[in-house]
Amino acid sequence: MQITIEKKEIVTVVSIEGSVDGMTAAHLIAAFREQIGGGSARLVGDLTSVDYTSSAGLRALLETVKDARQHGGDLRLAAVRPEVLRVLELSGFTSILQVFVDVDAAVASFTA
Amino acid sequence: MSSGPGTTVAEEPREAKAESRNRVALVIGAGSVKCAAALGLQKVLAREGIGVDMVVGCSGGSLYAALIALGIPVETAEEMTRRLWTRELTKKRHYASLLRAMLPQVFPFQESFGLVDDRLILERLKVAFGGRTFEEARIPLFLTATDFHNGEQVVFSSGSLVDAIRASIAIPYVFRPWKVGDRLFVDGFLCDPMPVGVAIKHGANVIVTLGFESPYQGRVTSVLRFAFQLSSIMSNNLLRANYAFHNLAHHTEILPIIPQFRERISLFDTDKIPYVIEEGERAAERELPYLRRLLSSTGE
Repeated sequence: MQITIEKKEIVTVVSIEGSVDGMTAAHLIAAFREQIGGGSARLVGDLTSVDYTSSAGLRALLETVKDARQHGGDLRLAAVRPEVLRVLELSGFTSILQVFVDVDAAVASFTA
Repeated sequence: MSSGPGTTVAEEPREAKAESRNRVALVIGAGSVKCAAALGLQKVLAREGIGVDMVVGCSGGSLYAALIALGIPVETAEEMTRRLWTRELTKKRHYASLLRAMLPQVFPFQESFGLVDDRLILERLKVAFGGRTFEEARIPLFLTATDFHNGEQVVFSSGSLVDAIRASIAIPYVFRPWKVGDRLFVDGFLCDPMPVGVAIKHGANVIVTLGFESPYQGRVTSVLRFAFQLSSIMSNNLLRANYAFHNLAHHTEILPIIPQFRERISLFDTDKIPYVIEEGERAAERELPYLRRLLSSTGE
């Protein structure tokens, strides 16, 4: 899994490449936690290059979103591929997470 | 009615055997003909030498779970289900139920209500599975149904396969609830369309799931379609709620296998079974690299 961090005004965009699963979840949680710990709790997860998520991946996203919200921010998802969106829908995650068509829309949602 | 005295319900199941630290479960949820995709998934697992330690089935998935657990080859299983699950199953009405529904003051309504004469499905199940029991399964098998009186999920793991499958596929309004022992059962999807919890409870760590949402009616043109639409709304929301809970509660991995069907697959599209199996195979192949890595990292 490759993770790239980019600041866009008050928002931190975390671009993820690869699968969000049991093999990568810990790495992803650590990357998000580092941002939140550093005072950047307004997060956008750019899932453009994420091709799969499993239950461990979902737990990583949930842990992050709870952590971010406890610190006054949020984790919002952008550019989710249909196959990943299907899993998010099936597991009820789209009812608790905000999902946007692209990164710009997700970033803008924090300032709207 | 229940068959032989060997039938037991909710008995403590045989423990699933695991040859390594991995305990792989295959959970096949509701989805009628679409559940045939499980045969494609099983094909891939067998080809790759990935052993399954337990199989869990519900509703339409119970048929395929039983066939896989019995070790019936994919080609034979495909042929068996093509003969078993055809449109003729619903052609003959259960007139007594119709009369009881329409004229309850003359013919008192009974809880064993179903619009379809269920003798044919029972005959076909008996042809397919004969007197086979859970004890004959090569892989520990768990089939779920719903207790009609209290909504409880009941897991069958011993006794007659025909009884357990008939209970698990007692589609509301269509097939009459099925009595096993002194309990009356309806379709397993009514309590959990994808019974992942059964696999978690019995110690699986890697859980491969295959299940489907109930299709919504294109047009609601009859009372029955109206009832089906409500049933789909409720069961699909139940599926998501339970699946979310199980995903968060499980300590290792739940891998959803989601076949992408380019065409609509209806309840009795038996002629599309080969295509459904192919899509199951394709979907399984997509997840195979991760499954392999996962098994090698969490195994011995």
